[in-house]
Amino acid sequence: MNLPALQTTSSFIETRGLSRQYRVGPAEIQALADVNLHVQQGQFVAVLGVSGSGKSTLLHLLGGLDTPNAGSVWVDNRDLATMSRHQRTIYRRTMVGFIFQSYYLVASLTAAENVALALTFQGVHGAERTRLAAESIDRVGLGRRASHRPNELSGGEQQRVAIARAIVHRPRLLLADEPTGNLDRTTASEVIGLIDEIHRELGTTVVMVSHDEEMATRVADRLLRLRDGRLEPEGGVA
Amino acid sequence: MIRALKIAGLAINGLRRSPLRVTLTTLGVTFATGALVTMIALALGVQRQVETPFRALSLLNNIQVKPKEPSSTTKPPPLNDEALARLEKLPGVAVAYPDAHVKGIRIRYRNKESTAIGLALPREASLLGVADELLVAGRLFEEGDQPEAILGVQLADSLGFSTPQDAIGAKITVEAAGLMPEGSSEFSFRRKLLTVTIVGIYRAPPLMPGSAQQGIFLPVELMKEIPGMYLEAAINQLKAGGNPTAAGYASVTVRVRDPAYLDEVEKEIRAMGYHTQAILSKLQDMRRFFLAIQLLLTVVGSIALAIAALGIVNTLLMAVLERYQEIGLCKAIGASDGDLFVLFLTEAGIIGFLGGLTGIALGWLMSCGMEAVASFYAHRQGIAGRLDLFAFPIWLMAVSIAFSVIVSVVAGIYPALRAARVDPIRALRSH
Ligand SMILES: Nc1ncnc2c1ncn2[C@@H]1O[C@H](COP(=O)(O)OP(=O)(O)OP(=O)(O)O)[C@@H](O)[C@H]1O
Ligand SMILES: [Mg+2]
Repeated sequence: MNLPALQTTSSFIETRGLSRQYRVGPAEIQALADVNLHVQQGQFVAVLGVSGSGKSTLLHLLGGLDTPNAGSVWVDNRDLATMSRHQRTIYRRTMVGFIFQSYYLVASLTAAENVALALTFQGVHGAERTRLAAESIDRVGLGRRASHRPNELSGGEQQRVAIARAIVHRPRLLLADEPTGNLDRTTASEVIGLIDEIHRELGTTVVMVSHDEEMATRVADRLLRLRDGRLEPEGGVA
Repeated sequence: MIRALKIAGLAINGLRRSPLRVTLTTLGVTFATGALVTMIALALGVQRQVETPFRALSLLNNIQVKPKEPSSTTKPPPLNDEALARLEKLPGVAVAYPDAHVKGIRIRYRNKESTAIGLALPREASLLGVADELLVAGRLFEEGDQPEAILGVQLADSLGFSTPQDAIGAKITVEAAGLMPEGSSEFSFRRKLLTVTIVGIYRAPPLMPGSAQQGIFLPVELMKEIPGMYLEAAINQLKAGGNPTAAGYASVTVRVRDPAYLDEVEKEIRAMGYHTQAILSKLQDMRRFFLAIQLLLTVVGSIALAIAALGIVNTLLMAVLERYQEIGLCKAIGASDGDLFVLFLTEAGIIGFLGGLTGIALGWLMSCGMEAVASFYAHRQGIAGRLDLFAFPIWLMAVSIAFSVIVSVVAGIYPALRAARVDPIRALRSH
């Protein structure tokens, strides 16, 4: 277990003693405590746990949106904890795709424009931007709805647009925080299927938070369980 | 750079989302800029009107020379024809001639009669630098000794000429009556009758006093024969116990070939024992005055713009609140703090630019309206022609837009900082 050098080179994601606490008045909330995690490149990892167990916190730390109070997060051999704010922005821009439970599409933009929005911040412009956005929308099966606005799309379709936005720049790491939390079972199953497809086709490493163990088991290579901010020993995929 | 342009595209999208609010905010900037532009255009216009005669007559080359006040102990040199000749010989001097301003000269043409102010003008027209646009018909004097006159439009009108052109070539009778100094303390009443040919008609700039249109210019040598020409200097001389017949002129204009000679020539004339005043220095005093007025108006206008800027702060702060989640999302998908700062600053800049642009249009409309009203009343007062009270130089428009954009962008700094500082995690947790 004590071969950090080897571990660093072989794991795409590695956390060591990762901790995040929040101070609310005098009280201290340990959202994440001493999490040691290794994820190989191209793995699909599902994170399970009750509400408040620290799932979102872990995802935010992996995605460079948040910084730990202690410990380190290595992704692709770089420590996010020691990166500057701007370096973390660049990291998000180039390496990470985020999918959220409530889609977070910009209501005034069409599906295609929402996808293209990500490219704007990534510095892709002009025809290339339009082409990549259209390609990504096609990829999630919404080519014919590209010019629709979010309020003209169903929940499942909106989440597909959000997925298209998350993968438009071909990130190596896809982070999904309860992507099916707002969807009915059938639609949820389809959306999970889409994420699995992307994972297989593009070889993207996926970390997905889910509260649906059955669904997670179906697609994930590994299941991680968080309880009170701590990682439970893995039993492998059931 | 391209990145900034794309972010500007997003800014437009951002603004389109609350059209009413953004429109009202922009209107605030419009009114403020409009008021600012109108006020400054008025100040500039009035200044232009006041300065036009200086330029048209190229008065900036002129030095006004006056004799010093005589007293019982000092006898300053008189400003007579001999002095004129000496002044004209100074290096850099083009011409020197007596100023005249003789009131109550009667002019007759056929059965019409009118009263005019007599003014002197040398025959060396090429040395005077009088702008062509002042002459609405005819020409300046020609060298020689033919009796010629140049009349103001209003004077020509009152003599019954229907157009300025009609007056050219007409022979009019000029009658002047007044006191001439004669002997040590005597004045005799003299009457002088002249027949002169009208060779030119001039129109003084609109803001000049009404009497300016009522003048008759005569060649210097003719004017010297007009009684009253020497009265002022003679009385001054008499008061100091001097000899009024040797008094000369009350005032003389010395014209230099180039303003560069002004200082030197002025110095020389002072050394000769006369008072001098260059018109240029008067103009500079006036400029200072107008600059002060413009500054004052700019401050007043800036207060309006500052209030409009508060509207921008308010609108953008609301936008930051409304788009809180969106800002968080943008950060999650790769927007930097700087991107969001630029985004909101650009939105402010766009409001400022549109407000500035429409403000200039509004200012122009307002000044057209005010010009029309002023012209209407001026017309009723008998002042003809356009007043041209407002000046809209290109630089005023450019500066107004730039000012509006800068003020707006400054107003956008705080909201933009708020947007840049949004914590994406908090934003994405808020439902
Ligand atoms: N900004 C914060 N301030 C204080 N406490 C926080 C903050 N953010 C998260 N927490 C706390 O940290 C703990 C972990 O939160 P987290 O959102 O990671 O849980 P989760 O597993 O994602 O829950 P859920 O399934 O409800 O989304 C919770 O107890 C939460 O209340
Ligand atoms: Mg969560």
